[in-house]
Amino acid sequence: MANLDAAFRKASAEQQVENRSFRIGGHQVLLRFAGAGAIPSIVPAFAHLQAEPFDEPELVVDIWDSATTGAAPPARPDVDAEEPVGAFYFFEEPPARGVFQPGMQALSALDHSTDRAWYWVADPTALPYWERAAPIRQILHWWMATRGHQQVHSGAVGTPDGGVLLVGKGGSGKSTCSLASLVSELRYAGDDYTMVSLEPRPWVHSLFSSGKVDPENLWRVPHLVPAVSNAEHLAQEKAVVFVDQHFPDRPIDGFPLSAIVLPTITGGPRTRALPISRAAALTALAPSTVFQLHTAGSEALQYMARLVRRVPAFVLELGTDVSEIPDVILALLDELRVATP
Amino acid sequence: MRYRVNSPQVITETIDGEAIMINLATGSYYSLDRVGGDVWSLLEASLPVDDIVAELGRSYEATEDDIRRGVEDLLHRLSGEELVVACDDAEPVRPVPPRSATAERAPFRVPKLEKFTDMQDLILLDPVHEVDSRGWPHLPNGQAGGK
Repeated sequence: MANLDAAFRKASAEQQVENRSFRIGGHQVLLRFAGAGAIPSIVPAFAHLQAEPFDEPELVVDIWDSATTGAAPPARPDVDAEEPVGAFYFFEEPPARGVFQPGMQALSALDHSTDRAWYWVADPTALPYWERAAPIRQILHWWMATRGHQQVHSGAVGTPDGGVLLVGKGGSGKSTCSLASLVSELRYAGDDYTMVSLEPRPWVHSLFSSGKVDPENLWRVPHLVPAVSNAEHLAQEKAVVFVDQHFPDRPIDGFPLSAIVLPTITGGPRTRALPISRAAALTALAPSTVFQLHTAGSEALQYMARLVRRVPAFVLELGTDVSEIPDVILALLDELRVATP
Repeated sequence: MRYRVNSPQVITETIDGEAIMINLATGSYYSLDRVGGDVWSLLEASLPVDDIVAELGRSYEATEDDIRRGVEDLLHRLSGEELVVACDDAEPVRPVPPRSATAERAPFRVPKLEKFTDMQDLILLDPVHEVDSRGWPHLPNGQAGGK
């Protein structure tokens, strides 16, 4: 990792180093940028978690790019030109871990022994929309795991008293439920990737303030249309919104986990919640998390099983009237509050 | 004949008696109902097939032949999906949680294995390659930057 450290210092030698502090999952995280070039591609997703500068941040992530700093790229593995653009090149040699993603020319690395991480990208303006919506995800996944947290493929909405994890594979309705809740009493903790912890009680932590919607489904959530950040690219990309920018009172940094909810599109008119087995909840949560995280394995599965054992699980049959969804979730939370005061 | 879970390629959890298995190499994942979950927990202990059949006979109401047929059919499928592999008799058998013989045994049903393939595209589009420590992320001559 000494070479990445040297590469960052070299890139920052002729640039103003820009510091941004965030409280993520209750932890003090400092993002240190060589120049301002990468800031617009990284910081908006964390804006709701921005904090005053810390004296001794727990995790420091050094971030730089070659396009705006002129720095030479760091060492990367040889890549087969035939590989799909989504290929991951994963390196693990404790206490260090790294991933190179040739499709977006981005490298993430973490040294667990020093709580230092590095994120290099060739051109931050070329980062795909999904990366801008959920940046430095691998670094957070690795580091937060050592602090007792588990990143999960889920949305999450709730109130300060309790909320739900919205689980399931892509297209199941996680984003629709999460983003439909922006015009309700529910607060927003994410639509695709969130983080959970088990002790002292199951808890959801927000990671990103972003939300993504298939353009053909925007009509279901019309309140989002003025908030779309990439309206000129919707022919190729999902619509991305940064919730804090347009719904500043909706993001929340976390809440107690009251239930796991599996949205299912039924085509019927009404929305309703029905209990499901814990095994069904784990089947909806775990495989998509494991495969989306790419570097998660047996420990992550065990963690998610422990989580599922601690809270009830429901299927949320989604009706065609999206405006009903937050009311049904709120009613479910009320019922659970009464059942377990 | 004995089998073991094909780990680390396969990761697995059992919850409320039902088993979930994820094949990290293929992108497929699976669930087993309660009877199948019982078989799976005995497979996790690398118990011989004869002992699995005998153990199930204490919990379920069926002839030994019916149980054996159900177990062997399931093993055939699990093996075909690379979730279990045949193992050497020398491999240790792990302790099996004690099962009490109940007065009323549950009816035996053919174990139900469900297969899900909706994650396979992710494996194809985002393949993961493990890179060894030679050459990356270290530069050969220790210089910063440049490749």
